[in-house]
Amino acid sequence: IGKPRPMVPNEGYLEFFVDCSANATPEFEGRGGEELGTELSNTLYKVFNNKHSVELKDLCICVGEHCWVLYVDVLLLQCDGNLYDAISIAIKAALFNTKIPKVHISSDDEGGREIELSDDPYDCMRLNVENVPCIVTLCKVGHRHVVDATLQEKACSVASLIISVTHKGTVTCMRKVGGGSLDPESIFEMIEVGKRVGKALHAPLMNLLQQEESLGKKRQKVGFLG
Amino acid sequence: MPIDTKRVRGPEVSQSPSLFSCEPAVGLPTRGPRADGRQRDQVDIRPVFVRCGLVSQAKGSSYLEAGNTKLMCCVYGPRETERKDETDMKCGRLTTDMRFAPFSCPERGSWIQGSQDKDFSLMLHESLHPAVCLHKYPRSQIEVSVMVLENSGSVLAHAVTCASLALADAGIEMYDLVLGCSMRQDGASYVVDPSYIEENSCSSVSRENQGGLTVAFLPSLNQISGLQSDGEMTEETLTAGVRTCIEGCYKLYPVIQHTLTKAVRKAAPPPSES
Repeated sequence: IGKPRPMVPNEGYLEFFVDCSANATPEFEGRGGEELGTELSNTLYKVFNNKHSVELKDLCICVGEHCWVLYVDVLLLQCDGNLYDAISIAIKAALFNTKIPKVHISSDDEGGREIELSDDPYDCMRLNVENVPCIVTLCKVGHRHVVDATLQEKACSVASLIISVTHKGTVTCMRKVGGGSLDPESIFEMIEVGKRVGKALHAPLMNLLQQEESLGKKRQKVGFLG
Repeated sequence: MPIDTKRVRGPEVSQSPSLFSCEPAVGLPTRGPRADGRQRDQVDIRPVFVRCGLVSQAKGSSYLEAGNTKLMCCVYGPRETERKDETDMKCGRLTTDMRFAPFSCPERGSWIQGSQDKDFSLMLHESLHPAVCLHKYPRSQIEVSVMVLENSGSVLAHAVTCASLALADAGIEMYDLVLGCSMRQDGASYVVDPSYIEENSCSSVSRENQGGLTVAFLPSLNQISGLQSDGEMTEETLTAGVRTCIEGCYKLYPVIQHTLTKAVRKAAPPPSES
């Protein structure tokens, strides 16, 4: 729980941090992964920098004084290309799973506000992740483009386009990465394909998440990460 | 953000007075002409003042003014790479650095680079990289540094233009000049080359199709070297926006070319006809 941003006192906010651990590639040892981590975090800020992705007003507790701050921390365990896509799917799943406890505000003896979290672990608020966008990365290889490139495919491409699409088909963020230049016509093609793929990605993902949710306690836990 | 322990910035809980100003943030009208007299829905970019060669110490430099946005760029190089382990035998390295002076924005910024500055530097690098013939400078490093003196909108686009001009002034071999143009979509209409207020006005009515787009373009080769968009827009709006920005770049091209030829003429006057 934190203090809301001064410019928008009635909204909460999200803070992103991507950590590239040294497990992923030997290049990330020490501070090597920091640059990539900041690049990924900055892109995530841009992707979520609009009114509709996450309902920030739901995160408000007390206008101007208290609000929920969601810290989204991503840890990369292994790198095989296409980091942006995987991270965005993971964030969508994590936000779907987030349970925010309901808060009860009462006034104190001295007139201050006292915040009480409800004791019941099941009395919580869920976030609506319908509008959370998914990122699709398209790499330009030769004259055509490839979706979901592996590390080897990425090594052959000169430039790639990152496009984040919501389930309705609106594009929230688009960015060109890589040290090559792209033809305007191929960019238009890539936007179209990216939008199509992104839109098609949402429905199965939501189905899967709801299925997992409905399993509840009966889910078979395989090891720690299962 | 790292804390600056050497400079006194006032108590931790202090806030800028602009937050408490009495008049509420007025959403800009989406009809009618813009505040500085330019037209909406037309490729109407601000007139640009550009000069090369203002920093005598640097290999190449340029200064650009567009409306109230002022920025300058210096290029040092090609010189030996500082860190031996990163020396690439086949091609050179391009380092870009974009900084905002603390007095450049209405809210005082800090001297230490925040994550947003690093993001801009990265975008600048991606936009300039395709244009510079790095294979002609093996084992060397070219440093480009942009300083924004006043931020009055579409800073990244003008930084790209300024930086490519400084690179040309330094005599670095390039495939083409890189020009930048940005636009902002608000509902059904768009404005090209937005000013600071137009860029940051968050209208309370959440409309479909609100966002900004910046494009870095190589005019002679007809290639896009940098692209960044924000906010939420439909695919058709984006495509139309990219076309609009390309048109804006074409409009800017003659001015930049003229400045470059003037600078070259001044540096090395043509032999007089005897």
